[in-house]
Order: sequence, then C-alpha cells, then structure tokens
Amino acid sequence: MTKEDLIAFEDEVAALFLDKKIRAAVHLSRGNEEPLLEIFKGVKPEDWVFSTHRSHYHALLKGISPEWLKQEILEGRSISIFNKEHHFFSSAIVGGCLPIALGVALAIKRKGESRHAWCFVGDMASHTGIFHECTKYAENFRLPITFVIEDNGLSVNTPTRETWGINEPTSPIGEVHTLKEWHHEVLDTWVMGKVLYYRYERGFPHSGTGQWIKF
Amino acid sequence: MDKILNYKDEIRKAMSLLAQDERVLFIGQSTLHPDVTPLFESLQDVPLSKRIELPVAEEMQMGMTLGLSLEGYIPVSVYPRVDFLMLAMNQLVNHLDKVEEMSCGRFKPKVIIRALVGSTKPLYPGPQHCQDHTKALKSLLTNINVVRLTNAERIVPAYRRALESKRSSILIELMDLYRWVPPYQK
Repeated sequence: MTKEDLIAFEDEVAALFLDKKIRAAVHLSRGNEEPLLEIFKGVKPEDWVFSTHRSHYHALLKGISPEWLKQEILEGRSISIFNKEHHFFSSAIVGGCLPIALGVALAIKRKGESRHAWCFVGDMASHTGIFHECTKYAENFRLPITFVIEDNGLSVNTPTRETWGINEPTSPIGEVHTLKEWHHEVLDTWVMGKVLYYRYERGFPHSGTGQWIKF
Repeated sequence: MDKILNYKDEIRKAMSLLAQDERVLFIGQSTLHPDVTPLFESLQDVPLSKRIELPVAEEMQMGMTLGLSLEGYIPVSVYPRVDFLMLAMNQLVNHLDKVEEMSCGRFKPKVIIRALVGSTKPLYPGPQHCQDHTKALKSLLTNINVVRLTNAERIVPAYRRALESKRSSILIELMDLYRWVPPYQK
C-alpha cells in the first residue's frame, strides 16, 4: 500500500459518496499518509489496531483488503470498521478505544506473548481524563501498547488548543516521541506504553467531502 | 425441610464456581485488598493469580474488561457500588452493549459485571452509596442481561447462567441481604 494507493481509495469513496451510493456518514482521511506509512512499518499482522471514526487508512495499512473495506463503507459502516481476522477494532466515541486497547494489552502481557496493541486517537482525545489514566497505567505496568496521537487540531470543528487554552500541541503523561525520533531498530527498547505523536492538516472536512449534510 | 440458604455464602460459592473456569479473571477494586464492602471476602476461594486489583478508574476498568474479553478471557468486573458503575456508562452503553451490533456480529464480547447496591443498615451511607439503578440499566442496555439477585436461591444459578450465556451479564447484588442470617444460624 503506497501513498498513492491510499489517496486513490479515499478519492473513490468520496466519488461514491457524492454519487449518493453511500447513505451514511463517511469520514475521509487526507494529508497523513506519510506518517502513517512510517508507523505501520512497525505493526505486525498479529498485532491489534484500535482506530477511530476516521479509520480507512488504518484499516488498509493493517492489511484489510480495499475491496472488503469498500463494501463495508458502501453498506454504511465507514464510522464503525471492525475486522476480527485482522484484529481491527474501532470506536466513534472520542477516546473510546483507549481502555479497550489497554485491556487487550494486559491480556497479551498475561499470556506472555509478543503481540502488540496500537491505539490511535485524535488530539482532543489526548486531553481527556481517560487518556491520562490509560497512558499512565500502560507506562507503569509496561504493557505492550503504543498510543498514537493524530493531531489535526480539531475535534469535529472545535479547535482543541483554543478551547483548552493552550499553545502546546498536547500534554499527556509520560514520554511523547515525535516521528522524527522514531527508529524501528530500537522499537522494542522504548515502545512499551509510550505515546507517539504526529501533526497534520486535515485534507477533508470532519464528515463527507465538504458539501454539508447535517446528521 | 430444605436448608435456608445464606446470601453471603451463596455469593462466595458462585465466585468459586466461576473461578474454576480457566478463562475467568476477577478485576476491580477490593479483589486483593479488603474494604468496607463484602467483595474481598466473597473472593476468598479464588486464587490470587486470578485477581487483578485496579485503581479507582471506573470507565477504564470497564474498557479493560471489554479488552480482556477480546483476547478470550471472561472477566468478572467488580464494582463495589452501583453508584460507582455510573462512571463507567460510556464503556458500558456505547461500547460493550453496542460492539456486536457495530461489528455485525464479528465481535461478541462476553463479560460478567458484579455491582452491589449499598446497604442502608446499620449505617446509612448517604444517597451516593446505596442507589439501585437496575430498572434504568435494563432500559439502557439492549444486548446485556441485567439480573437483580433478590434472594440467595437465585445466586448460584444466575452466575452459572452468566458464565454459560453467549451474552454479557450484569448481576446486581443487594448488600443489605449479605447481612441476613438464617434463623437456625442465629
């Protein structure tokens, strides 16, 4: 899966949406292809990925086939992509997956296995209480989980930094690593319970393609 | 004449029954450390290795419960008061209850939740520690069984059904009944 493949997939979904083939909300990705391609180099097929309402790129990069994903979207499930075979789980509630991913990581550790959980959240979610609880627990118990903050500055259209009265991008507990610091050769030495962060500009609106439909 | 069952003993018996299943884990407060509720005592026959004491973080606990179930465990998630379960409603209503529907049946998380209605005698604990929201939970939840354990005879069968069921269950225990002692034991 390349950057061009990801973009082409979302363009096709956007066209289907505008052609009224999808009678449900769609949440399209654009602008974060490169950081995600980098992050998913570290994600193994047997790992879990926990995503958000905006999950198409995550799903494709986890190995879910574009055909299967497109069918789910056509059936109105862009907002709730779940695939058991690929250990892919999502929630459309802000921060909803955080403690679920934490429980999976606890289970993996109890079993003594080498699998890993990856939990993607937006910048607004990174300021919630549940984010602080989960990252603290994961860090202190060295659970096999990585949290990834995807910062586009907005939650729907509410500006995160303005509404929290902050200038810094985020303030989670524990270490935050920007992608520039991320080197796969040292993955196992620091990735346990840590937080990854990247920033991007949202290429599509929160929902749909820019022509507003209220729902 | 049939023996009159003791509520507290039946709960302990039910926990012991659950613990025999290798998939079962007990998670929450008072699983490893005693407090003013009867929870710790009810787990005395459960091996320590099956008990995970969590910090007070009710929503995190419910999410972790769901996560453990995705990996094949059957977590018994313990809430010392129904009042405290209210803090876990996002994970309970928006996630545990909806996952099967959202995933078109691909994920069917199955957990057991214990929540206690605080006792009002001999000490009144105030309005935040003795609420019984059984009816509200039944109204809110579409895919989770909600069972109120109103007498000792129901306890072991109810927990056995929860273990065997394909759905998740919430069992509401009534702490005032823990104190009740059959006449012949007085």
